[in-house]
Amino acid sequence: MTTPTIEQQQQEIERLRARVAQLERELVDQAERSARVVAEAQEQLYWLERWHVDLNALMRKPGAEEFRAAVRAVRAVMRRLRRFGWRLKGYKRKLTGAS
Amino acid sequence: MSRVTAVIPVKDGERYLAELLDALRREGVDELIVIDSGSSDRSLEIARAAGVEPLEIPPAEFGHGRTRNLGAERASGELIWFLTQDATPAPGALDAFRAALALDERIGVAYGPHLPRPETSPMIARELTEFFAGFAGPDGGPAIQRAGDPTFLSNVNACYRRACWEEVRFRDLPYSEDQAFGRDALSAGWLKAYVPDAAVLHAHDYGALEFMRRYFDEYRGLRETLGHVERFRPLEVLRWTGSQTTADLRWMAREGLPIAERARWAARSTVHHSGRRVFSALGSRAERVPKPLRRRLSLERRDDARTPSRPPRAPAALPAPRHVDASRAHEDYEAAARVLRDGPAALLDPVPGSAEREQLRIAMVVPPWQRGSGGHNILFQVMSRLERRGHVCSIWVSDLFGEMSDFWPGVLRRQINDWFAPFDGPVHYGFDDWHGADIVVATGWQTVHPTLLLEGCRARAYLVNDHEPEFFATSTESRLAADTYRYGMHCIAGSPWLRDLLTDIYGASADAFNYGVDHAIYRPLDVPRRRDTVVYYGRHSTPRRAVPIGLMALEELHRRRPDVRIVLFGDDVPPRTAFPYEHLGVLSQPQLATLFAEATVGLCLSLTNFSLMPKEMLACGLPCVELSGVSAESIFGDDGALELADLEPHALASGIERLLDDRELWERRARAGIEFAAAHSWDRATDEVELGLRHALAEREAALGVG
Repeated sequence: MTTPTIEQQQQEIERLRARVAQLERELVDQAERSARVVAEAQEQLYWLERWHVDLNALMRKPGAEEFRAAVRAVRAVMRRLRRFGWRLKGYKRKLTGAS
Repeated sequence: MSRVTAVIPVKDGERYLAELLDALRREGVDELIVIDSGSSDRSLEIARAAGVEPLEIPPAEFGHGRTRNLGAERASGELIWFLTQDATPAPGALDAFRAALALDERIGVAYGPHLPRPETSPMIARELTEFFAGFAGPDGGPAIQRAGDPTFLSNVNACYRRACWEEVRFRDLPYSEDQAFGRDALSAGWLKAYVPDAAVLHAHDYGALEFMRRYFDEYRGLRETLGHVERFRPLEVLRWTGSQTTADLRWMAREGLPIAERARWAARSTVHHSGRRVFSALGSRAERVPKPLRRRLSLERRDDARTPSRPPRAPAALPAPRHVDASRAHEDYEAAARVLRDGPAALLDPVPGSAEREQLRIAMVVPPWQRGSGGHNILFQVMSRLERRGHVCSIWVSDLFGEMSDFWPGVLRRQINDWFAPFDGPVHYGFDDWHGADIVVATGWQTVHPTLLLEGCRARAYLVNDHEPEFFATSTESRLAADTYRYGMHCIAGSPWLRDLLTDIYGASADAFNYGVDHAIYRPLDVPRRRDTVVYYGRHSTPRRAVPIGLMALEELHRRRPDVRIVLFGDDVPPRTAFPYEHLGVLSQPQLATLFAEATVGLCLSLTNFSLMPKEMLACGLPCVELSGVSAESIFGDDGALELADLEPHALASGIERLLDDRELWERRARAGIEFAAAHSWDRATDEVELGLRHALAEREAALGVG
């Protein structure tokens, strides 16, 4: 096995330095993205946090899931009624147009 | 293993006695003592059949405390397990007691839950289950109770350490001797333990009226032992009855009782709960109930009623100590203690060239703020601009005294944006989410120790706005604050005066930065300048502002010139003064600019470092009076933009008067102020701070010979 020359050692050091610099850049990029995501989440949660509402804790309470399911069911019914209403209006327009 | 004696007082207890004695044998009790006080059923026979020779006493000699003391005196065990004749231990109960008592030798007594028997009424079953569930430890295991905790104890199922019983003994009470023992034992410094696994099957199955009469007896006992008087308000009783009946119905539904069964119990539940409140109230006022009626209301047919007993006179004059659990209070300065004990966390090795890298990960640790906080304005103005330059910035609130604990991070972030400067990065409360940084910046003495403990940092810096040890009288705080300059953090001081102080006194490495002015806000405005108005930054919540002296100066000014209009701002609460004035409270930055533009003279004092407010006054063309001989002189010289005066009311009043009277002086100072402020911007301040941060990183590299 041959001992590397000083020039080779210098090259290796330069290569390693370049690699460290690259990893540093990646670390900063990652930190920047994480910071942005956290900050955006904090912005979105402002009103919940202002009123001390922890949705996870709230949904763990007894009856919360049932309440949510009930609201969804009511909303589904409302949606269907609304669609039905639109259809009726459509028929009415067609009939009025035909007459 | 400790020897255990079980003591069971019995009277007509044939229904469960055999089952109980069998269970005790199964549990491995070493000795059984049955004390019979005149049973007329098969109790004696059952006891003898189980191999126990009952100790018989005349019924008149029975007393709940007295008879149990008798049993304990006859017992040979180191542990004495008291049970009632209708309580059947669940398997493993004794082992659970043994394990709990072994947790701490100061535990004098342990008690376990009462489980309902299958035939127990739903009201009682629910009550028992919910009542005992409240005592368990956080992990569902044994809970140790100390003085100040609930004194509840029940001799239906309780295991005593002999030494505890010998020291405390049961009081000779007709009822609730266990409650009295619980209170006395805790007062004497013993602990007690609730042991969820040491259960007994137990329930008092009575008819509706019998239940009520039993409550009469129970509450008469509580009145006699603890002096408790049950409150009675008819509307409250109605509400309570409704809520309890509903709870019973829910519980029955959960337990899967058929609907018909539930309906039957609903009526009984209503009677039970309302009757209970009425009879409890009567029982706790038994001494006021006529004797014949008392007898009829009592299940035990007792017609006596004692006035509440007092605890025995304590031999020592000391009050009962209140046990305090180990818990860190904020004032403990836990972080400071950890730093003093273990030293700062190790820094990461520097990466060559990091001091020159374009983008740095900068984490700033700040103390709690209030709207109008000048120091925080400086921090956030700089941080906002560092962020705009591409650095990855985050803010971490170190709240030593929990002043901002009500605000969640999203709210804190919005406050920074609304009150100080735009900031797009994340804001964290505390350090639970800490994830390292190239450089972490402490910003006040109370943030330094938490900052020193943060891992994953390449360097630390300390943005120093003031010489904070001067904020305190000689105290822990003054010493800890002084200590913060000695941890080798590179300081970035808020003036050359402060930088020199840090290097000269503490030997710290330090740079200086000059506070900026937001020239978009603070500039000469097109507002008519009054000739008679003195505005004073009277923030009396900040002691270094020397507000009492400032007010004395204004009082003197008012005495000399009653026609001068005096305006105070900077604090929500108007101070009481010996002169009339106008109070504007805490103003927004644009409002401040308007005020400074229309005023004649500004007064703003700082006993330590020169502050931002005078610079903003100067930027608006408002000459102001500051203290001579402190940091301001190091920046402005003795005849610059500021009118300097000694810290003395008459001298300050004279300084204000000079500016009011001497138009030429006023104009010279105003011009110099505008010129001076023009050279100071937040961008320039940020340049200086950024340079300081890079110096901190470079110092680390140099110290380790990297680069």
